[in-house]
Amino acid sequence: MTYLLEAKDLRKQYPDKLALCGLNLQIEAGEVFCLLGQNGAGKSTTINLFLGFIEPTAGAAYLNGLEVAANPLKIKQYLAYIPENVMLYPHLTGLENLALFSSLAGFSYKESELVAYLAQAGLPVEAVQRRVGSYSKGMRQKVGIAIAVAKHAKVLLLDEPTSGLDPKASNEFSELLRQLSQQGTAVFMATHDIFRAKEVGTRVGIMREGELVDVRPTATLNANELEQLYLTYMQ
Amino acid sequence: MIQSIAQKEFVSTLRDRRFVVLSGLLLALLLAATLVGRASYHTLQQERMVAQQTVNDQFHHQPNRHPHRVAHYGSFAFRPRSGLSFLDAGLDSYTGASVYLEAHQQNSVNFSQAQQSGSLIRFGELTVAFVLQVLMPLLIVFLCFSAFTEERETGTLKLLLSQGVSMRQVAWGKIAGYGSAVALVVGPALALAAWLLFGEEEFAHNADVWARLALFGMSYAVYFFLWIVGAVVVSARQRHARSALVLLLSCWMLGCIILPKATANLGATLFPTITKAQMDADVHEAAQKGINGHDPQDQRSAVLKANLLKQYGVDSEEKLPVSVGGLVMAESEAYTSKVYQQHFAALTRTYERQNAISTWAGLLNPYQAIRPLSMGLAGSDFAHYVHFQQAAEAYRYQLVQRLNGLQASMGYGDKERKLDAATWQAIPTFAYQAPPVGWALGYLLLPALALLLWAVGLSWLGLKMIDKTSVV
Amino acid sequence: MKIFWILVQYEWRHFKAAKGLVVLTGLVLLVGLYGIYYGTTELDRQRRHLAELPGLAHHNVEELKTKFPEPGEAGEIGYYHSTFAVHHPLPWAGLSLGQRDVNPYYVKLRLLGLQGQLYAAENVNPTKMLSGNFDLAFVLVYLFPLLIIALCFNLLSSEREQGILPLLLAQPVSAGVVVGAKLAFRVGLVFGLAWLLSVVAMGWARVPLDGRVGLWLALVTLYCLFWFGVALLVTAWQRPSAFNAVALVGVWLVLLVLVPGLLNVYVAAARPVPQGIELTVKQREEIHGGWDKPKAETMNRFFALYPQWRDTATIKERFVWRWYYAFQHLGDQSVQPLAAAYTTGLRQRYELVEKLNWLSPAVSVQTSLNALAGTDLPTHLAFQQSVVRYHDALRAYYYPFLFNNTLFTHADYAREPTHTFTSTSETPTAVQGLWKLLISTGMVGAVGLLLFRARPVAPR
Repeated sequence: MTYLLEAKDLRKQYPDKLALCGLNLQIEAGEVFCLLGQNGAGKSTTINLFLGFIEPTAGAAYLNGLEVAANPLKIKQYLAYIPENVMLYPHLTGLENLALFSSLAGFSYKESELVAYLAQAGLPVEAVQRRVGSYSKGMRQKVGIAIAVAKHAKVLLLDEPTSGLDPKASNEFSELLRQLSQQGTAVFMATHDIFRAKEVGTRVGIMREGELVDVRPTATLNANELEQLYLTYMQ
Repeated sequence: MIQSIAQKEFVSTLRDRRFVVLSGLLLALLLAATLVGRASYHTLQQERMVAQQTVNDQFHHQPNRHPHRVAHYGSFAFRPRSGLSFLDAGLDSYTGASVYLEAHQQNSVNFSQAQQSGSLIRFGELTVAFVLQVLMPLLIVFLCFSAFTEERETGTLKLLLSQGVSMRQVAWGKIAGYGSAVALVVGPALALAAWLLFGEEEFAHNADVWARLALFGMSYAVYFFLWIVGAVVVSARQRHARSALVLLLSCWMLGCIILPKATANLGATLFPTITKAQMDADVHEAAQKGINGHDPQDQRSAVLKANLLKQYGVDSEEKLPVSVGGLVMAESEAYTSKVYQQHFAALTRTYERQNAISTWAGLLNPYQAIRPLSMGLAGSDFAHYVHFQQAAEAYRYQLVQRLNGLQASMGYGDKERKLDAATWQAIPTFAYQAPPVGWALGYLLLPALALLLWAVGLSWLGLKMIDKTSVV
Repeated sequence: MKIFWILVQYEWRHFKAAKGLVVLTGLVLLVGLYGIYYGTTELDRQRRHLAELPGLAHHNVEELKTKFPEPGEAGEIGYYHSTFAVHHPLPWAGLSLGQRDVNPYYVKLRLLGLQGQLYAAENVNPTKMLSGNFDLAFVLVYLFPLLIIALCFNLLSSEREQGILPLLLAQPVSAGVVVGAKLAFRVGLVFGLAWLLSVVAMGWARVPLDGRVGLWLALVTLYCLFWFGVALLVTAWQRPSAFNAVALVGVWLVLLVLVPGLLNVYVAAARPVPQGIELTVKQREEIHGGWDKPKAETMNRFFALYPQWRDTATIKERFVWRWYYAFQHLGDQSVQPLAAAYTTGLRQRYELVEKLNWLSPAVSVQTSLNALAGTDLPTHLAFQQSVVRYHDALRAYYYPFLFNNTLFTHADYAREPTHTFTSTSETPTAVQGLWKLLISTGMVGAVGLLLFRARPVAPR
């Protein structure tokens, strides 16, 4: 069975630091994998390797069965990415930004469809026609979610997705993730938020200094236990 | 407080690789421009001095000749270059080098460098003044555009202010620090210039040249000061470093490239110049009303002759102790010179009105304040050129009138006779005395004031604006 | 391909939103129009002055007719008579004035020694000459690169600095296509502006429609492409906006200020032309020496050059006009080698610049535009040669009167030869300039593309 996301001995060495050492990971369709770790542990590096933004020093990353380094453009058709801080074109409206990114992804939606995606992501209706320059961080993140959803991608890569959202929006986002995973999307999420990781994830991984030290199915832990486990590893 | 900030700016500037590279380049350019300017000055000065010596010798060693022949033989005036012109060539390349001085005619000053080059010369000459006026502000812009924006973006500004320093003090500290860094670049070049001047015999003890050099240095100090203040103020007021940079670069382009050309061209459009052909025709027309020395049928000569006969109480030309021809020539020369002077003055006034637009623009554009000031102090501007033209014309006039006087004293039948060769040796040759700096300062008041106004105004207004700037 | 066009369309949106850039583009358009206005009105002024000259000459003739109501001595008439040698401009000169403001465009001639009249300067404000001409060529050579720099300095760095690049590159678009679309939009904008201004200028100046139109457009297009190539090179380096701006302005300075300045210094040192002053002084000496030399010696030297007049009467009087004009001409002859050396020296200066101007495409394109418009040094030298020939023709007209002792009647004024000279486009020079530009642009573009390929665009 082809894994939607796979890392085989994935390694990234910088001149002054070993960012990732020998990552082995397989993620199937419908999984929500949450990667926990401190700042600088290697979470963003992993996501960048899957995105093809950086090249591995050794090993390979695979997305939908294709090697990322060998097919940099093709894999992007199968993934959607929401960065930690979603930045958009400030002089375009939320709707126009969504239209732009969707058309670049190869989709041509009608305006009503785009508005529906934005509503689904939780963006207030009156903000849709306002310039992104006036949006708060949370609102931009919602547009980022809409862009990802509108892409109907097989893989969703998320970098600290709830860091700018209030509890209500965070909840709605978790609900959305559940829906997407039920539809068969594989979700890979790097986060600090242990609570959300337990709530929404199917599996949880703990990364420390570039190494994946533990992987547990969330069903086997409750939130407290997860927190204890996390803190133990961080000693 | 300001001292320590200044010190910090100075040190960090010297450690900044960008600054080291750019200022190293600029210093190299300045030194090269000084040396090249000096070499070029020597070559051209030599050429002109040799030529002047040659024509002076030729004049003194004339054989026995009739004085009116000598008046037509005339002489040449070669324009020497001023002492500081190796720093600021000003208009020297666009003004002629030699003018032929002869009777009855005023000639143009010919053989400018520009006429002997192709269009390459229009790209500008790499002189010290050019580097200081155009390139130095660019260095200042690159140095200072991130003065505040960088501190704001890294957060060190908040740290500074929480120590009890005011924004104004931070600004002055930066201005002082950057000023020292700039002085480090300009200082050696001016020192080299001074050293070269001191080594030159004719200038070593010439107080006027040293005064000019001192004022030259001071003017540029003010110019750099106002650019640093402007750059720091813009940096404080702009959100992002890149918008500060773009704004400053736009000001530089507008001020140093576009406005000077536009105002010069505007001046020429508003006050059209008369062509030489038309002016000659006008002068000729007006001179017709005067006496004509070469025309035996001229009525006014007849009147003059009659008056002379009455004056000396004789009844025929032979009995006059003076030569009628000589006196007629003198009259004619006096009249035509007067006519010519009127037209020349009108032409000069037209040029001055054209240039006034650029000089007044100095109130809007500091580059157009420093440029005339620098040229004027270096002795290579329009006023100095006119001074030379007038000196040459004055010499021509007194030479011709002296020769006419000699002719008159020859008495009747002078046409058949010649004067001894020794006569010519007694006549002084053209020796140009460049005007002193005090004379130049008289008309340089406007650019100097404009520069000072900019410096003071920018400081006052700019720092007021900095006080109101947000920290976050 | 579709994505490319989508990106180009959005570039137009981004451009409209950047108010500063829109203002700048508008300014360049206005400034270009002013340059066209200035160039063509300046040329019109010169044409008007040239048109006034026949009037002045006519006035002079009328005055002489009044002074000499009877047929008079040709020598005396020739002494007072002045005529003009005129240098008509091409319509192209309105687009690139070149040296037409520095070099006189007419010469007032009398029958006397030519070398004393040939180098007379015209009334021009030296401050204005220093500032230069604000014509279309100036706008294209100096200001268009600045526009291109302003448009391109943050080609990629703007998205990177705004943080949009990761999201953009997470879509199935290659960085190459993104940069390509951005460049395509900007190239279209700048080309459109350059062609619009050029066409307006050509129309206003009423330029004849021939190959030169294509040549001008090709030169301008290639020059803009060169600057886009430089921008591509700097962008490929992938540094922040501030660095790019500094680097690009640095390149502008080097190519438009430093290289020409250094080239000026080098050319002046390598090819000095001291002969101008020398020949003026020598010619004066020769001519005035003629007064004192024995007439037979002078006339013999003259007849060596003009044997056809040898059999005219010997001179017994103290002063006779043909002797006077003989030593005037001998004065010119004596400085012939100096005059030739002077002209050669000037020409060599120009050729040295031509050889070296590949160092700066700005200099190269300016010389090419001037060559096309016929406003540079070679044209002026050709004009001076025509003046020499005209002076010869004048003398040839007057000599029969002088040597055959024929009286000069009123009818003879009309039969006097006249002069006209029009600039010619130095098309070969311009075409060479085109080749130089092509090579420079090709090289810069190739290096830019290679650098781009070598350094993949990192979103971080």
